[in-house]
Amino acid sequence: MTHIVDVGERHIREINEEIQEAAARGDEIRVVNTLSRHNLGVGLPDGCKISFEGSVGYYCGGLNTGARIEVERNAGWAVGEGMSKGHITVGGYAGMSVGAAMINGTIHVKGDAGPRCGVAMKGGNIVVEGKIGYQSGFMAHQGKIIALGGAGESCADALWSAEVWVAGDVDSLGVDVNVVEPTAEEVAEVDAILDPLGLVDSSRNWRKMVAGERLWYFESRDASAWLMI
Amino acid sequence: MCGIAGRILNAPGQVGRDLVDLMDAQEHRGADSTGFAIYGPPREAGYVLRGMGYDKSKVDADLVDLKAIMTDHGADFAADPQVLTDAAPYYCFRVEMTDPRDLAAWVADADTLTDRIEVQSCGRSLEIIKDVGGAAQVADKHGVRDMEGTHGLGHARLATESDVRPNASHPFWARPFSDVAIVHNGQITDYFTKRDQLTRQGYRFLTENDSELIAVWVSDQMKAGLTMPQALTKSIGSIDGVFTYMIATTDGIGFAKDRYAMKPLVVIDQAGDLAMATEEQAVRRIFQGEEDVINYDGPSMTALWGVGNRSLAA
Repeated sequence: MTHIVDVGERHIREINEEIQEAAARGDEIRVVNTLSRHNLGVGLPDGCKISFEGSVGYYCGGLNTGARIEVERNAGWAVGEGMSKGHITVGGYAGMSVGAAMINGTIHVKGDAGPRCGVAMKGGNIVVEGKIGYQSGFMAHQGKIIALGGAGESCADALWSAEVWVAGDVDSLGVDVNVVEPTAEEVAEVDAILDPLGLVDSSRNWRKMVAGERLWYFESRDASAWLMI
Repeated sequence: MCGIAGRILNAPGQVGRDLVDLMDAQEHRGADSTGFAIYGPPREAGYVLRGMGYDKSKVDADLVDLKAIMTDHGADFAADPQVLTDAAPYYCFRVEMTDPRDLAAWVADADTLTDRIEVQSCGRSLEIIKDVGGAAQVADKHGVRDMEGTHGLGHARLATESDVRPNASHPFWARPFSDVAIVHNGQITDYFTKRDQLTRQGYRFLTENDSELIAVWVSDQMKAGLTMPQALTKSIGSIDGVFTYMIATTDGIGFAKDRYAMKPLVVIDQAGDLAMATEEQAVRRIFQGEEDVINYDGPSMTALWGVGNRSLAA
């Protein structure tokens, strides 16, 4: 059965407790009247299936441990922050820091994403059908950020071992980026991530961005590269 | 972390009520103090002053001295001053005055009283109301919900750079430029140097708040010949720090954002009927339907929104 959670002006703790109780019973959950409130559906358990009417505020789906989460329209800052498992779909625009420090799982954004998409992510995949914002991938350790509609300025800035894949225009590259030609095997790996989302298109001209590794070890002769402004 | 908001109506209406709603939705971003800049129907002549005095037991003497300075400049009270007090030691005032011969000269002389009273806004249309407390508390005390006009700004403050005091809160008036006000979310890091330069040019700053700089700096650039869009763009390269700010005049509202894209701004624009705020949940208090939001999330952004068919571009 589907459990309806009405958000409105209620205290966020009360709302999230109601969501957790419904998830523990195994109900499918529909959250309505969200009013773009913050912190909705944080720490959801494995197996939970939940959808949010309209838009949500900051940190929706944060610390997700396996839930399948759908946001109809926009998400504010840091959707899926720190998630370790699960799948989040945002129907519209996702704000700053999508999947910040996420460990695993998938975040799928159907619109554009804001600045610092995938900041400090440690694993998992972020797929953005539109454009990713300024400084996306900033200091990302591992995992893939895949943008199908281009990237803003300072793309893939100061990466660790994560990869930023962009189809479309990149406004500018960040500090210490290597743009490499992906092998057919690597493209097949990305297509395997896109396939369940119905987004495979073999005509894409990919740019794969990885760390130049110069900033991984500080050398005084590189000091100017550390000054980003 | 602060919260800012703006509102533009297609026709004069309950802009005060809407700004209180916008700020109430963002009170968690800073409940130290709340402020509003409201642009009411502009008068042909004369100015409205809003301000505060530090000692409510001295209100009569303060107003006598304020009036004497007006007289020196060929001006006078245009109506009986309104004074508002509560349990706090300070009081707030609203004064309507006739035109002085030279507004900047009058402001400079009125500022000789700043050890006792402080004029916090001056305009044909602008009135700034700011006080300690959350949106509802400040709105109730000052009757903000009943204030009508075409547009305005709101601010919820989490103090980072200076005291929690009613006069250190936002919006800031661009002293001595009539009808110019700003709200700012962020921190300016080189404000002390820039204030020093402007002070040497004769400008006066009354608080230790970093944001007070922005109002005067932008206005000074425009006085020197830049248009508002030019001044907004120049501020991004000239002012150091983290900022998303909005600046209002009688013609509308301008916005600029720093190079780091740290502080958000969300806008709903329904054919010139506009709500802007730090958070989407605030603008949803005004537009509750399916209206699309515009996220100004990139680095180095500016925008201008005119009231009605007025333009800020010239």
